[in-house]
Amino acid sequence: MSAQPAPSRPGPDRRSSTVPKRTSILPKPSSIALDPSVLIAQHAQITGTHPITLGPNTVLHPHSRISSALAPVVLGEGVVVYERAKVGVGLGPDLDAESRRSSMRSSGGTIRSDGVVLGRNVVVEANAIVEAAEVGEGSVVEVGAVLGRGCVVGKYCTISPSSIVAPNTRLPDYTVVYGGSEHRLDKTLQLRPEILDAKMAVHRKQLEMFKKLVPNQVAKWTV
Amino acid sequence: MAQSFPYTYYACDCYDNNTSTSAKRASQILAEADEEDRTFDPRNPRSNYALYPLEHLLYCDDCQQIRCPRCVIEETLNWYCPSCLFEVPSSVVKSDGNRCTRNCFNCPVCISPMTVNSIENPDAPSATGGPYILACPYCHWSTIETGIEFEKHTGVHGQLARVANGGTPVPTPKEREKERERRKEFEARQRDSRNLLSPSQDSPTSDLHRDSALPSRDDVFSNLGAFYKSQIEAQTPSNPFSAHDLNFSSPSAYSRIMNLYSSAGAKKQKRGKPSPMREAASELEGLHVYDTVSDNAAIERIKRDGWGSTLSQTQKLAQIDPHANFEDELRPIATLLCTKRSKRCRSCRHILSKPESKITSTRYKIKVLALSHIPRLSIRALPNNAAPSTPSAPSTPAFSQQSFSYSNLRSGIPTHFLLQLSNPLFDNVRVTLATPSTTPGKIQTRVTILCPQFEVGANTDVWDDALSSSVPSATRSSAADGQIEAGKIWDRGRNWTSVVIEVVPGFLRPITGFGQADQADELDEDDDLLEIPIFVRLEFETEANAEERGLGDSRGSKGEKEQREAAFWTVVGAGRIAAM
Ligand SMILES: [Zn+2]
Ligand SMILES: [Zn+2]
Ligand SMILES: [Zn+2]
Ligand SMILES: [Zn+2]
Repeated sequence: MSAQPAPSRPGPDRRSSTVPKRTSILPKPSSIALDPSVLIAQHAQITGTHPITLGPNTVLHPHSRISSALAPVVLGEGVVVYERAKVGVGLGPDLDAESRRSSMRSSGGTIRSDGVVLGRNVVVEANAIVEAAEVGEGSVVEVGAVLGRGCVVGKYCTISPSSIVAPNTRLPDYTVVYGGSEHRLDKTLQLRPEILDAKMAVHRKQLEMFKKLVPNQVAKWTV
Repeated sequence: MAQSFPYTYYACDCYDNNTSTSAKRASQILAEADEEDRTFDPRNPRSNYALYPLEHLLYCDDCQQIRCPRCVIEETLNWYCPSCLFEVPSSVVKSDGNRCTRNCFNCPVCISPMTVNSIENPDAPSATGGPYILACPYCHWSTIETGIEFEKHTGVHGQLARVANGGTPVPTPKEREKERERRKEFEARQRDSRNLLSPSQDSPTSDLHRDSALPSRDDVFSNLGAFYKSQIEAQTPSNPFSAHDLNFSSPSAYSRIMNLYSSAGAKKQKRGKPSPMREAASELEGLHVYDTVSDNAAIERIKRDGWGSTLSQTQKLAQIDPHANFEDELRPIATLLCTKRSKRCRSCRHILSKPESKITSTRYKIKVLALSHIPRLSIRALPNNAAPSTPSAPSTPAFSQQSFSYSNLRSGIPTHFLLQLSNPLFDNVRVTLATPSTTPGKIQTRVTILCPQFEVGANTDVWDDALSSSVPSATRSSAADGQIEAGKIWDRGRNWTSVVIEVVPGFLRPITGFGQADQADELDEDDDLLEIPIFVRLEFETEANAEERGLGDSRGSKGEKEQREAAFWTVVGAGRIAAM
C-alpha cells in the first residue's frame, strides 16, 4: 500500500476537507462523476487528480482500485471491477513508485494519454490490471490479465487469465487472447448473436445480485 | 541436470550389473570397484541414465538395493478417464480404444477440457433443454464453429460419431455397404453402356462423379476395408479347419508361422501357395488417386483466409484425421485414458509400489521408497566464518555469509562444504565415504573429505532424543569451536552427522600458458560444473528378518542380529566454477 500515487501536490483545500480517516491522505479526484445507481463497496479505492466518471450500475468490489493519477478514467454502464483489480494509467507492474512519481512530474506533456475508457458491461476480474486506452463493450479481462497502455480492445473480447497484452496493441472485436500470446476470433459469438444475448442477460442478473449482496458505500464518495 | 545447486543424485548400477544382482554382496561390489579402480564418472554419457534424485527411487527389500525406473517393471492395474474418473474395463479398451467414450473431450485448439453447454432458446424451450454444444471455457472454441450441435447432454461421444462437421450425418457401415453396392452396380452398367457405344448422360452419373471427387477419409477407409475383406474371403476355402488351407487369421496360419521358427526337423507336407492378391484398383475399392484439385483448393483457401485459418502442428497431431489442415476440419478430441500402475522389482518380481485400485483414491497400498531405506546425503556450503576466502572478492557481494553463490565457485580457492548424512533406519550406521582426489573431467578439482569414516545415529523416536539428558558429546564435533579439523566430524544430531569436505575448484584455463591459448582444450558445455562422485558404504547391524533366515532357524532365535552392508555411488552437484 506504500505504492500509492505519491501525494506530491495534494490541493491544500482538499487536504483540509472533512473527509474522515485514511481516505483523506489520498488525493481525491478533482471530480468524480457518479451515477446514482453506482455500487461502490467498502475499501474500494478511487484516487488521482484527473476526473473519474462512473456510469450507471457500475460495480466496484472491495479493494478494487481506480486511479486517475496520470489520466482520466471513464467506466461505462454496467462495468464490474473485481477485488484487487486496477484500472487506470500508471498502475501497471512495470512502473515502480519512483518512475511513477517522475512520470507524474512530467505528466504535463509526455504521458498525457487519453486515459482509460471501459465500455458498457466490461468486466475486469480479480488482480487484473487495465491501462488500456479503450476496452469495448462486453469484453472480459480475466483474472490476473494485464492490458498495457494505449491498447484498444474491441467489443466482446476475452483476455484469458494471466495473459499480458503489450502496450499499444489493437484487438479487433471478438478477439480471444489465450495461451500467452495466441489470438483467435470467437466465431461462436460471431455466428450466434443469441449466445451473446444470453451472456449479457447473465451479466445483468449478476449486477442485480451484487446490489443485493454487497453493501454500498457510495455515500462516502458523493460528498 | 537442471536442478538448482546443491543437489545429490544416486547412481543405480542396474545397467552394468544385470547379472543376478541379488546374489552379490555389497562387499563384493565394493571389492570389484576397488579392483578395477573404477570411479563413477558423472560425465560419462551413460551416467545420465543411472543418476536419480533419491525421491525418484524405490527400494527392493529382498534384493536390498535401490530400484530406479529402469529396473522396475510396470504393470497396468486399471484404465480410467482422468476427466470423469470412470474406470474403463480393459476389454472395452481393447474394443473401443484408449479414449473416453462418455462426455469427456479436450479442445482441439488449446487442449483444455471442454464443457457441454446448452444453447436453448429461452423463448422456445425444448423438452430436453437442448440443443447442446461442446465449448471450451478457455479459448472459447465451440462445436458451433464446425456446425455441430447435440440433442442430449449425455452420450456426446456417440452423438459426435454420427455427425460430420457441418452437421451432415455420418453413414453407418451398413449404409456405406449399400451405397457401395449401388455404385458398383451403376459403374458396371455404365461400362456395359459404354461398350454399346452410347456414353450415357444420365444425371445421376455426373451427380455421383461430383461427390466422389473428394471421398472423405472414412469413405476411403471403409472402401479399402471392404475390398480387403472380399479378397481374403476369395482366398478362404470352404472348410476353415482343413489341414491344407492357408487362409488368414486361421489357426493353421499361426501354426505355419510357428513352424517357420521352430527347428526344421520334421518334413513339412507341401502346401499350395496362395495366389497373390491384387491391390485396390478403383476408388470403390479404396484406391486414393492423388489429385491436384484438393491442393489447389487448399492454396486458394490460404490465399483467401490467411494463415490464421490453418492448424498448428500440435493441433494437427492431436486430430484423428492426420490430413486436417483447416480450422473447420477440427473435431473435439476425446480424452485419452490414463492408467494406474504397480511396479515390481525386475530381478525378483517383488511388488515395490501399488496404488489403491479405486480411481478416486490417490493413496498407495504398497510403496517402498528408497527415502526410508537409504541415508540421505546432502551437501551445502559451510557457513563462511571459518573459510579464509571471503575478503578476496569485494566485487561480488552475493558471495557473503548469507547467500553463498553456488554457481560462482572460484578457481584455486579452497572452499568448504558440509556433507550431511541423515539416517532413516532404526539402527546405528557406520559410514565410509570415498571420493577420487580429483574430479574426473577436464577441470581437475581437488576434493578432500576431512572425516571419511563416521557413525550416524539411529532414527529413534524424536522424544527419545529430547528425553535423554546426554547431549551428544560436543568435544567430538568441530562445529562447537568453529575449527575445521581433519578426522573430526563437524556436527551431529539424533540421526544425522555432518562432515566437512574441502574443495579446491580447478582452473577453467590452464594458468601456465597465459599467452598461448590451448586450442585443443576447448571446454564443452557443463565442463565448469563441479560434480563430485562420492562412494558411500554403510555397515549396520539389524534384526534378522524372519523370511531371510529361512525356516530352519526361525524358531527361538528372536532378536538375533545380522550384519548388513550397502554400498552405492552418489554424485553431488556442488556448483559451477566461475569463469575468470
Ligand atoms: Zn536401476
Ligand atoms: Zn471421461
Ligand atoms: Zn480451447
Ligand atoms: Zn528385488
